[in-house]
Amino acid sequence: MAVPTDVIPRRPTLLFIVVLSLLFFLMSVSSRTRYVGETRTMFERTVMTVFSPVPKFVNWVGGTLQDIHHGYVDMRRAVNENVDLRRKVGSLTSENLKLRQSASDLRRLRSLLAYSEQFDFETSMAQTIMLDTAGRFKSIIIDHGSADGVEVNDVVANANGLVGRVVLTTKDLAKVQLVTDNNCSVGSLVERTRRQGVVRGTGGSLVQMLDIPSLADLQPGDRILTAGIDGIYPKGIPIGAVVRSEPGQSLFKTITVKPAVDFGTIEEVIVIHTRKIPPQVVRYTP
Amino acid sequence: MRWLRFAVGLLLALTLHSLLDSFYPNALAFFNPYVILVIYYSMGGNVLGAIAAGVLAGFVQDAFSNAPFGLHAFSLTVCAYVVASINARLALRGALAFGACLGGAVVVNELVIYVLVNILMKQRIEMFEQALLVKTIFTLLFGMLVYQLLTLFLREEPIAATRSKTAW
Repeated sequence: MAVPTDVIPRRPTLLFIVVLSLLFFLMSVSSRTRYVGETRTMFERTVMTVFSPVPKFVNWVGGTLQDIHHGYVDMRRAVNENVDLRRKVGSLTSENLKLRQSASDLRRLRSLLAYSEQFDFETSMAQTIMLDTAGRFKSIIIDHGSADGVEVNDVVANANGLVGRVVLTTKDLAKVQLVTDNNCSVGSLVERTRRQGVVRGTGGSLVQMLDIPSLADLQPGDRILTAGIDGIYPKGIPIGAVVRSEPGQSLFKTITVKPAVDFGTIEEVIVIHTRKIPPQVVRYTP
Repeated sequence: MRWLRFAVGLLLALTLHSLLDSFYPNALAFFNPYVILVIYYSMGGNVLGAIAAGVLAGFVQDAFSNAPFGLHAFSLTVCAYVVASINARLALRGALAFGACLGGAVVVNELVIYVLVNILMKQRIEMFEQALLVKTIFTLLFGMLVYQLLTLFLREEPIAATRSKTAW
């Protein structure tokens, strides 16, 4: 907007001098009051008040931007930290699993070792490398063979009980017939009553105990052990527990036994190198 | 319109002042945005308007600095008056003329402040010569940048927009 010509002073220099004088006076007052405690004049305070929204706004914007920046930086840091922590969690979880596995292995091996110490026979530890427990002919392959002293008819057990016997050996491997195999028979006895009988595989997951008279005392839950009378299995290895005992059609009971070993989970086994009965003695055995 | 532009410029200068004070407290030792604004306005040759612009801009600068209130108003008014008086007679135009006026105004501004503070108030300004040199260079650079931007975006020579219709 143009200043009207008639209101423009003719002598701006005079106006300039007046303005400068006023400013000088104002400055003098201001500099005097600065040293007596009152650091701001009323006029100065008014100018500050009028324009104060600008610095406030700038400060607010700056603060907000700083907050956003810090928030972003913190978030980035948190994200990186999170990624690192997740990596660590993964690594620790894996390590933990390995340690748990080792602890479990150790427990199992300790129990096997303690179990093997029950026998007078020489024993060796072997690892199962193949399991054929689903078919009718139940067997497993272990990683010890004739080179390790494993012979046919060596007994195989684990910490829970009887697994079976060795039926074939090679130099490095051995095939073990499980007690659940259809062709497997084990001389056995009832732990509580010492009644002897024969446990025979059925090809299923359970086995049967034969030759127990109908009048014999036998109850579900009774533990069945090897009797040590068949020339192969040493005495006292748990075979399983009676789950069903029914009077048979003849003089004997029909007894169903659940094996003590879960054959689906066999890992380490003990091979018990039993004393073999000489063939000539076997030949004359009735 | 001229006063509106001045008001906007004053708010921008104060914003810059606040911004630098908040984040780079020493930056205002290197350049003075208020001088740029006042000289830009005074190039129009309107002496009265230039005096008013100098007083207003100086008051704002004083209000938000720790200087005695009126110190910058005084020095800026002197600069504005000198530049406006010259332009009322010579009608200088172009970036070079603006730069020359701005450079001279920064020197005058600092000298006036030096005289007022050092001689009249008996206070000493440390490293005055170095500060004067640095402030002149940076204010000049920043002022030329602002001038070019305004010319570019307003599509006219900004000084023409502030030029009074009444010549002195």
